[in-house]
Amino acid sequence: MMRGIHQNFDQQQAPAFFARGPSPLARLTFFTALSLALMATDSRLQYLADVRENLMTLLHPLQVIANAPSRLYQSTDEYFSTHHYLLAENARLKRQALTQDIALQRLDILSLENANLRNLLQAKQSLTETSILAEIIHVGRDSFTKKIIVNRGKNHHVITGAAAVDAKGVIGQVTRTYPSSSEITLITDKSLAIPVQIERNGLRAIAFGHGRDNTLDLPYLPANVDIKRGDKLVTSGIDGVYPAGLAVATVIEMRTTQDSPFAQIICTPTGGIENDRQVLLVSIPEVKQETATEPLASENSKLPATAAITPAATDTKPAQSPKPAIAEKPAPTPSANVESRPHAQQ
Amino acid sequence: MLKAARMRNNKLRSIYLSLFAAFICILFPWSGIALTLRPDLMLLVILFWLLRAPNQCSVGTAWFMGLWVDLATGGIFGQYALAYTITTFFAVIYQRRLVLFSSTQQLVYVFSLLLLSQLILLILKAFAGHEFLGWSYFLPSVTGVLLWQIAVSFGLNTGRHSHGS
Repeated sequence: MMRGIHQNFDQQQAPAFFARGPSPLARLTFFTALSLALMATDSRLQYLADVRENLMTLLHPLQVIANAPSRLYQSTDEYFSTHHYLLAENARLKRQALTQDIALQRLDILSLENANLRNLLQAKQSLTETSILAEIIHVGRDSFTKKIIVNRGKNHHVITGAAAVDAKGVIGQVTRTYPSSSEITLITDKSLAIPVQIERNGLRAIAFGHGRDNTLDLPYLPANVDIKRGDKLVTSGIDGVYPAGLAVATVIEMRTTQDSPFAQIICTPTGGIENDRQVLLVSIPEVKQETATEPLASENSKLPATAAITPAATDTKPAQSPKPAIAEKPAPTPSANVESRPHAQQ
Repeated sequence: MLKAARMRNNKLRSIYLSLFAAFICILFPWSGIALTLRPDLMLLVILFWLLRAPNQCSVGTAWFMGLWVDLATGGIFGQYALAYTITTFFAVIYQRRLVLFSSTQQLVYVFSLLLLSQLILLILKAFAGHEFLGWSYFLPSVTGVLLWQIAVSFGLNTGRHSHGS
């Protein structure tokens, strides 16, 4: 009270009670209504996407400033890294390069052979993916979602829907692009689904992020499904988003209970989701165009690789799959999700 | 009178500067355990100014800053804004009593305000389809109130003795 009167003497204004403007309750109502309207608009309609993009452009210099201290720390840390550490790393990288060189030599021959075979069969050439190397700026600040922000955006031709891959496997998908950064939703996020295939037997399934721990779930699979602990999941590529054959996760637990017809399968992601700085953004261009122009020919079903990149080919089963009877198993529910889920933004 | 106006301007400037600094702190590349422990600096700064300068910093300020936090977190627009709006409303209606509280009482009140904002956020996130993350979700409130206490013990005036200013 005293304070209010004092201030009003100082400022030669109306008494403090009036100087305060509208009552707190009025303000509360007004701003609550505004927030609710904003939430409804943002979650149900797409009007605010452009606004967000522009504001993010505005925010980018601030982000650079905020990142400066940790960046400085990292660079000085690297600068002062010990001789011993560098030698060890060098040796490790040389070893890695050697093994990869051998694999690459084989890859050259194989891709040549593949091209020849495709020519013989007069099949469409497989699409070449474009990839962009990006660096993680920061981890998502919302603890409810699993997201990372990388330093490549629309200006670098990153498109929404591109797959994010690191040296060990798939880590997520680009869900929002801003001019000079983009948001990647990790495969462990609850809203992201990824079509996978068991490496051992070619069984197809859809892996959903668990959300809380860094794990993935394989729901809707029957209790007698042929999955064991240690099975590796790779991308099946039937969604037209992820290139086929990339490592996704490893099964760590497989549980069946009496009261549920479905198995509980928990997997850990293969990619270094928590500890890498660089990611590769891989996008498969013009998939939709190709499927639209070309009718699904019968030879497509004979070629798993071609069928794999065609979203429309979800129900053609891979002919070379060792256990076709099981390969059909993935329940109808997930395959219905393939179209909608990977592109879905929350 | 001129002096008062200048003081008022100074105060406004420090409000904006501190809010800006808090926002930059939010933009830091937090990760891992630091992210779980990170106090809601923005809300703390807003609450501080609500107690210190209720005429300059109010529900509207909180709403506006909440929007920026929403942008930075990448969530749906309006979530933090709503949480901050409701929290600051409860701070504003008790503002006159709060400045008369003892420091312990004030601490408890600030703690409950921080918890309230997290609860509102939790409810909003639950509507958006997210799960409860476990009790560690409320740790930022604890670290936040600790930070408040540290700031007070280092001599930050949280409006309790500012009757003459």
